[in-house]
Amino acid sequence: MRRKVKQPKKARGYETSKEIANRLYILAKKIVEEIKKGKDPTFETVIRGRSNVEFDEALKLIKLGTKTSRRYFLNIGHARKFMQTMLVLAKTYEYLMHNKTASIREIYYELKHTIANTKENTFEDQTESDAVIVDLEHAVDTFREKLNLHANPKGALYGDITLRDRMHHNDTFNCSKLGRGGWSIMSRIEPEEIEIVDVNADYVLVIETSAMYERLVEEGFAKKNKCILVGTGGQAARGTRRLIHRLHYEAKLPVIVFTDGDPFGWYIYSVVKQGSMALAAHSEYLAVPDAKYVGMTLDDIETYGLKNVTEKMKDVDIKRAKEMLDYPWFKTKEWQRQLKKAIQMKVRIEQQALANKSLDFVA
Amino acid sequence: MAREFEREITAKELEQHFKEHSVAEFFKKNMQMLGLTGKIRTLTTIIHEYVTNSIDACEDARILPEIEVRISELAPFYYEVMVKDNGPGLTKTTVGKALGKLLAGTKFHRLIQSRGQQGIGAAGVTMLSQITTGQPIKVLTGNGKETFACEISIDVRKNEPKIANMQDLKKEFRGLLIKARFKDVKYVKGEQGPAEYLRRTAIANPHVTIKFIDPNKEKFVFKRTVQQIPAKPKEVKPHPKGVTVDELITLAKHTKAKKVVSFLKNDFDRMGEKAIQEISKLVSFDLNKDPAQLRWHEAEELVKAFKKVNFLAPRTDALRPIGKERIEKAMKSIVEPEFIAVVTRNPQVYRGGFPFQVEVAIAYGGKAGKIINGQKKIEIMRFANRVPLLFDAGGCAITKAVNSIDWRRYNIKDIENTPLTIFVNLISVFVPYTSAGKQAIADEEEIMEELRLALMDCGRRISKYIAGKQREYERKMKKETFFKYIPEVAEALHKVTKENSEMLKKRLERLVLERLKLEEKEVDDNEKKGKTAEES
Repeated sequence: MRRKVKQPKKARGYETSKEIANRLYILAKKIVEEIKKGKDPTFETVIRGRSNVEFDEALKLIKLGTKTSRRYFLNIGHARKFMQTMLVLAKTYEYLMHNKTASIREIYYELKHTIANTKENTFEDQTESDAVIVDLEHAVDTFREKLNLHANPKGALYGDITLRDRMHHNDTFNCSKLGRGGWSIMSRIEPEEIEIVDVNADYVLVIETSAMYERLVEEGFAKKNKCILVGTGGQAARGTRRLIHRLHYEAKLPVIVFTDGDPFGWYIYSVVKQGSMALAAHSEYLAVPDAKYVGMTLDDIETYGLKNVTEKMKDVDIKRAKEMLDYPWFKTKEWQRQLKKAIQMKVRIEQQALANKSLDFVA
Repeated sequence: MAREFEREITAKELEQHFKEHSVAEFFKKNMQMLGLTGKIRTLTTIIHEYVTNSIDACEDARILPEIEVRISELAPFYYEVMVKDNGPGLTKTTVGKALGKLLAGTKFHRLIQSRGQQGIGAAGVTMLSQITTGQPIKVLTGNGKETFACEISIDVRKNEPKIANMQDLKKEFRGLLIKARFKDVKYVKGEQGPAEYLRRTAIANPHVTIKFIDPNKEKFVFKRTVQQIPAKPKEVKPHPKGVTVDELITLAKHTKAKKVVSFLKNDFDRMGEKAIQEISKLVSFDLNKDPAQLRWHEAEELVKAFKKVNFLAPRTDALRPIGKERIEKAMKSIVEPEFIAVVTRNPQVYRGGFPFQVEVAIAYGGKAGKIINGQKKIEIMRFANRVPLLFDAGGCAITKAVNSIDWRRYNIKDIENTPLTIFVNLISVFVPYTSAGKQAIADEEEIMEELRLALMDCGRRISKYIAGKQREYERKMKKETFFKYIPEVAEALHKVTKENSEMLKKRLERLVLERLKLEEKEVDDNEKKGKTAEES
């Protein structure tokens, strides 16, 4: 049954561009005042990386800890980053004031130039500007989409769901009528840009490989099973995760994840469910702790008689499995059993191995 | 000369034996003992023998030495060497002995800090000229009043000088000028060539002025940096602990004493009544016998006894170091370093019998170090009694001492590729060379220890200087880093807040300068604190 989707209330993550721009202005003003008073100009950001990542058992989410660090201009180790942060601050302020958006690659190229009288560039590569963008996100307590920045898009959606693109003539379209490719998920999926109008489905099926996504579209799986198909094409991009999150919380759809039967596939599931360490700060807006896993598991090898189509695990896979054994969010009985089995059997099973039975077996 | 004696021979008999074989003939067959092997080394050795003699003669006459050296190439491997000094000159009676008779010098068997230890140099060179070209050497000498010229060669069988074409000259001249020709030698510019030999000689003898014209007519002048002639080293009697059987017999042969007991008392350092009493109990013969009749096995007994008796350490007041200030002046003038540390250690004794003293300087930066393939490398200048040692570096105690130190502890990360000139002068009344070539010092335990202590002392000072330099460099780099980012930061803040970017720039620059000044002060304060802690 087609049902309308209720639009979300204003809350964190739903501020306007003006509000975010104002935060940037206040930060810049504070730094100017420090300079005028002869103080070492500084701003605060959050420490990232494993040392400041924790698993919230109650919320079942990976969250960033409370450890903060300060960047000082007069610290020789910070000076360059401080300068870079000021450049990104001024540029994103400009985007927000002029209603422009840019990819993180575009802002990198817009700000990259040779510093006067030196042979040094403001940014040598994109990893530098990416890191500074994250610093700034935390300094003004928001995330990059709110700074009118976005990553490169990846992932596709297919199914009976109507979306409205508020940034593009209010185009309203049903994602089962866009051809076999479905809708290319944009990297910015914020409610003020993409609105979920209505939906006619019982759940969302998240699929790791593009090939399996295409197979299921071709087999008419979405219609037969009344579901939405989301193809992540490997690890899920930010926009894709944001959309899955909104489909769950706004459209109230359960989320089911289907990946390869190997440590990397399982980790994709884990990122959709609990969030990632790199974006630990934003798990609340990206993750779906209620997500369920359907396969592949190593048990499927026996269940479906796939012994002859397993693949050998590479050393990196085994190493990854061993690391994952220690992650708190993999400390459940079932996952420990799967991981240990993988380390012991040294085999993996791909989604597409099911094609060994027949192409439409999976459907 | 070999000691293949079938029966015991007395010192008197031994003297007879000496005369029967011409020393000149012996040395002619054993040229390598003079260091006259190898085309490059030979030419450097020739220069060494003449220059050393000139400096010694000037010093003996208390004249500030001024030495001119010219080497001209006559044909490939055929050179003429001219050496001129302003010394006292030679007389018609001494000229032949000095330049035409081997072992005729006054230095043999004397324990005195001297440049040459055997005094065979100049005559050996005459012989080399003679056997490679068949020509005599040409001499012009005068004492300021009488001047004469002559040609000298050696009668090899008799070891006697042959003087020819003696001519009295009217012109007034004081000093000695020698012109000699040599074949089978080769001039090179590098570290083992005459130019480098003279440069180093000038560093270790800052009271000497040396002018040098090389075969390409290139002129080098090393001007003296001090005006005082060094005090004459004192001759010392041998210390009993440092004497060998052979030397004891030679001394016994030359002594004026009529009894062994008085020979020991008169001819040795630190030989007291009590020591003689002890020795008399340790030997099988009567100490009242004539020292000239001393037999080999008796001499052996004496040397053995010396080892068992406790003597006072030898006196060390006979040594004449170059001196800290003089080394510093010379190095500054010739090496022109950025920084120099100099240490003159107190005299010590090795093998219980020989006094020695170590002087070390380490020069850093400027023209210090040597350039190899455009890369600055470490340069080690070795000296023994102010004489540069250019060969056999690997086997030398000085090189070993330098290599035994972990220079990274002294802020020198890669010693081989650091612009350093390490100057080491070992002075002793008897330098323990590893071989007759006299180019490498033996690694006697006590000498190694002193070398290391002196090197480490200099190292500590160099380390401090380098650390200071690094701090200064870091400050400069810091300032540059901050300053280059300031315009970017100011402009970005201006875009958002509309504050005047020039004002922001000025303020930020002032902030940086204040911060750097504060850091500098902190370092200075810490250093002062460290110093007082070290002192107390």
